[in-house]
Amino acid sequence: MPEQSSRWPIPDRSVDLSRVKPYADHLGDGIVQMSFTLPVPYGLAARKAAQELAAKMGFEHPEVVHYQELTDGYTYFVMFGEATQTVDYASMSDEGFDVEYMSEDEIEDFAGREIGRPVVVVGAATGTDTHSVGIDAMLNLKGFHGHHGLEGYKAFETHNLGSQVPNSVLVSRAIDLDADAILVSQTVTQQNLHIANLTELVEIVEAEGKRKQLILTCGGPRVSNELAKELGFDAGFSKGTYPYHVASFIVRELAARMDDSGPAHPSASSNGAAPASGAAGTRTDG
Amino acid sequence: MASAAPPRLSDLLAGTRALALAGLAKNTGKTETLAAILREHAAAGRLVGVTSIGRDGEEHDVIDARIAKPRVRLQQGGLVATTGALLRSSGVAHERLLQTGVRTPLGEVVLARLSQAGTVEVAGPSAAADLRTVSDAMLELGAEQVLIDGSIDRRAASSPAVADGLVMATGAILGEDIEAVVTATSDAVDLVRLPAASAPAGAGRADATTGAPAGAEDDGRVVVDRRLALNAEPAQIAALLREHPRAGTFVLDGALGERFLEGLLAARSERAGRELRIVAGDPTKVFLSSRGPRWYARQGVSIEVLQTISLKAITVNPVAPQSHRFDSQTLRELIEAAVSDVPILDVLDDSYLALAK
Repeated sequence: MPEQSSRWPIPDRSVDLSRVKPYADHLGDGIVQMSFTLPVPYGLAARKAAQELAAKMGFEHPEVVHYQELTDGYTYFVMFGEATQTVDYASMSDEGFDVEYMSEDEIEDFAGREIGRPVVVVGAATGTDTHSVGIDAMLNLKGFHGHHGLEGYKAFETHNLGSQVPNSVLVSRAIDLDADAILVSQTVTQQNLHIANLTELVEIVEAEGKRKQLILTCGGPRVSNELAKELGFDAGFSKGTYPYHVASFIVRELAARMDDSGPAHPSASSNGAAPASGAAGTRTDG
Repeated sequence: MASAAPPRLSDLLAGTRALALAGLAKNTGKTETLAAILREHAAAGRLVGVTSIGRDGEEHDVIDARIAKPRVRLQQGGLVATTGALLRSSGVAHERLLQTGVRTPLGEVVLARLSQAGTVEVAGPSAAADLRTVSDAMLELGAEQVLIDGSIDRRAASSPAVADGLVMATGAILGEDIEAVVTATSDAVDLVRLPAASAPAGAGRADATTGAPAGAEDDGRVVVDRRLALNAEPAQIAALLREHPRAGTFVLDGALGERFLEGLLAARSERAGRELRIVAGDPTKVFLSSRGPRWYARQGVSIEVLQTISLKAITVNPVAPQSHRFDSQTLRELIEAAVSDVPILDVLDDSYLALAK
């Protein structure tokens, strides 16, 4: 790789990745900028309260750099403070947390080579959630920010069921379509409604004996991989996710599962483990 | 009753090979219950294995970061199934025994034996079938018992296909009114203790192999098509009842949801006063949120299962973090009165802690 001619001095790379902390002026200073609002009237007492709160959060040398009245009885603060804690980044990056993302072309190539048939993805905003923006951005041809949704890929066959879809109906469709993956979006998170709703989807898939056949992914502004793990999903996508992130994950996971179950066996819809379910001929046309 | 010395959890669990722990909500003290069981096993020198369907032992709640969580302390020599990254970041010396090939959003699950005691964040397989495989592997490696921690309101780990015993955690977090907590707990208990399906009068044997074609009728026993059960369209449910005017038992292979039950109730004329028995595979396949099984039974629809769950104990957390608290003994007595035949314990209550001394 050629030497980079950067306008910036290349910082000292001797960062201890097992003890990482924020930095602003120089490595290791721990400086964090944060903002918050307190329900107190603007004034010196408010400023003092913000400082004390930041100190209780564990920041050293908390400093109010800006504060203003938002409205009667509310004050907005911008603060600096020094974080004293560190995190072990090294252990996180070593253990396969990161999915290697591929470009659209790479995904098409990978799917053609490793899977060899269209990957069927069914998506919906479930439960009472009326917001279909997230699911539309990921699935529809138009996508967003110049990135195609999965519908625009040759590798995928997508079915967008829209919003307010009951979990059981989504699962029923996914089984009918012999889907490889389910993608659900939860935008509304008041009262943590998304938690119960996301969990129920996983439990219904388990009850139908299809958990090992279906890749379950969820997305929304408050969804993380940690939350996805707690809820029983295979992946969680949050802000900053583009369709190719979701696509990369699905094709890699599907290819890995095909490896797990021995030689690739495309369209094996009823391999031994599951009870004879939805046997052909029992479906009523509806 | 409650004033007598409570039984120990580890004694109640003797003979259980794979135990599932389920909390009725976050902060019902499930992890404290797990910690108590582990302490008792450690004191008795019993080797156990631990895994989790979710992620437990993390320092802070993933939904409410204000709540510090108890951490899971494991004994030297104990087995654990968690992700490689979490094992490594625990800093606890361990020996990796097996890469399970089970992938989670937090990395691959590995099976390890701890070379020293310590606290480890536990995130095991998310799928019931994988939990079973991992539990069996730990039993084979010498664990006397495997403890499977649940996650939020996930119930799949309690399935008889995975575990042969269940401990349920409940607590003040379920409501500010103590009666609401008792009711929610007793509804949840009714659900996990759904009775075994009885053979219908004059009917053929009911066995677990109900994979018969949908709509097959066997002396009043009808197997409901999966799609019909999941979509639960009222018109289709009414048609099902019309097609089988004498059937009293309907068997579902997969999920039984509230909408299906409501559809049955709505089809009054098709039901024609019939008492209905709805049979699901096991209690984890039954999804009720607004009403409990007793309510449906009163409407003439009883819910039964092919495989039951063995509820070993209920633990209570009388404290709702950042909110309110109840008197532990009062809460236990009220639950005991509402729920029969299962020990109710508060593992942090002095009466329980005294047992360890």
